[in-house]
Amino acid sequence: MKVSAEYYDEIFPFKGEWDMESSCGLKIREIDGKKYVIVTELYQDNPGTSVTYAGRKLADQICEAKNLKLEDIVYLECTPNTNSKLSFYDEEYFQVDFFADMQHKYRQLSKEEVMRILK
Amino acid sequence: MDTIKLKLIYPKWNKLPGQTTFNLPPHGPVAFAATLPEYVDISFTDENVEPIDFDEECDVVALSMMLTTQVKRGWAIAEEYHKRGKKVLAGGISTMLHAEEMVNHVDSVFLGESEGRSEQVILDWKNGCLKKIYNFMGNQPPIESVGPCRRDLYKRDLYNHKGVQMVDLFNASRGCRFSCYPCAVSYLGGRKFRPRPVDKVVEDMAGIDNNRLFIVDNSLAQNKEWEKELFTAIAPLKKKWISHTIEDDPEVLDLAAKAGAWYVYQAVYDTSDYIKERVKRYHDYGIGVEGTILFGLDNQTEDDIKRLIDFLGEIDLDLAEFTIFAPFPHTKGHDDLLRQGRIFDFDWDHYNAGQVVYQPKNMSPEKLQDLYDYAWKSFYASETQESKMFRLFCNVALREMEEGTYRQRDRRLINKSFGRDVDRSVRNVNVRTESQQLKLN
Repeated sequence: MKVSAEYYDEIFPFKGEWDMESSCGLKIREIDGKKYVIVTELYQDNPGTSVTYAGRKLADQICEAKNLKLEDIVYLECTPNTNSKLSFYDEEYFQVDFFADMQHKYRQLSKEEVMRILK
Repeated sequence: MDTIKLKLIYPKWNKLPGQTTFNLPPHGPVAFAATLPEYVDISFTDENVEPIDFDEECDVVALSMMLTTQVKRGWAIAEEYHKRGKKVLAGGISTMLHAEEMVNHVDSVFLGESEGRSEQVILDWKNGCLKKIYNFMGNQPPIESVGPCRRDLYKRDLYNHKGVQMVDLFNASRGCRFSCYPCAVSYLGGRKFRPRPVDKVVEDMAGIDNNRLFIVDNSLAQNKEWEKELFTAIAPLKKKWISHTIEDDPEVLDLAAKAGAWYVYQAVYDTSDYIKERVKRYHDYGIGVEGTILFGLDNQTEDDIKRLIDFLGEIDLDLAEFTIFAPFPHTKGHDDLLRQGRIFDFDWDHYNAGQVVYQPKNMSPEKLQDLYDYAWKSFYASETQESKMFRLFCNVALREMEEGTYRQRDRRLINKSFGRDVDRSVRNVNVRTESQQLKLN
């Protein structure tokens, strides 16, 4: 289940749960003055913690490395299409609000929203 | 070094209602025990087969936990020992999966595999500088360092049903190169298949005083050459064994059969001819098949599940085990359902794979629960689970008789089941049948 390189501009190594060596795909886009940080799960090429489980810990590491402020960015998690026969490996994008309660923390993006960000 | 008395405990969990319960000797605690230095004197209690004597003299306590349904009981046990002023360590699979919560309940959490690492924990405890977390995640010890388990710690009579000794669990490898949707093994043991050296496996297996084993490796079908070498090497031991999937290759299946393959767990995930043929091929080589059927994935509708249940009648499975998808932490399934806000039950006691803890995509939780109950009822309607198990047991006993390795039932334990008395009265037989029927209805 190799993830296509189209999903990221760089591989971002990070310390996952219990400091496990982990990796994700990373893209940063600026649209209308707003920074969109897109982290992509790499499955077999991520030796450690998933981007979702790492959550805020990963976001903080990206912000530190890229000199960003968490409150200033739109943080998106991407589970990429892996061309698996199994439907639960389809492409999905979720916006994560680390300051919201659990019920409102994740919001799935529509295809149109994704297109607008990635065009 | 003075002797240190360590109380090693495997906490109990609630078994699924209505199902035949067999208690197998747990592997994790005795694998951990084998990594402790000689000056540690271990007293082991598997709470599933005997009660804990909290007042038994000990210096330190270690909890070994495999299942998510063990963790809350583990925390309660830790509390009891804390009242007695004892330090409590925790390790094992579910400790790793639930480590964030575990640190709040025990004095020290061990993450990872313990070969070459456990003595440091003991020394730190002795020197009064026990760390809250020993973190070896992603840093596995050399696979060559995995040695024989401390099976001498088992009270064997407690793993015996009416004179028949239960299988011993055995690891021929660790890790997994697959990373399946509902599974956390790649997180726990590394996303790499790590086969043990075959000579070590043979030596280890030969030393087990039990002719029946369960090779609990996630899948043996990960490295064909190693698999062939393994089966060729263990054949002379004449052990009979259960395992998960074996490579679907005539040469490998033939070697497996000659090496003593008794029956395998095979996932039945659709109604394809491939599955039908896969089961047939195992049977062609004299290997039994227990189908494992997982319900509740997002690609399943009610009709899909009903078709799958009907399909089982066509493929001649020896046994079937049904489970409901459970979003265990550190699986993709957990991440997906968490993001989608579909997990409604975070009580770890309910993560027993027989209870719905999330909103299924294509049906209500109640409907999924009903279909799960219906599957058990339907599959075992004409012949009970215990009866089907007995037939598999007869198959292996006959093979052992032919090979001269059959051991008579232990007459001392003929009226015992896992340490408890068996009531063989007619009335009891009726009660069992009735209770099974209740479940089926």
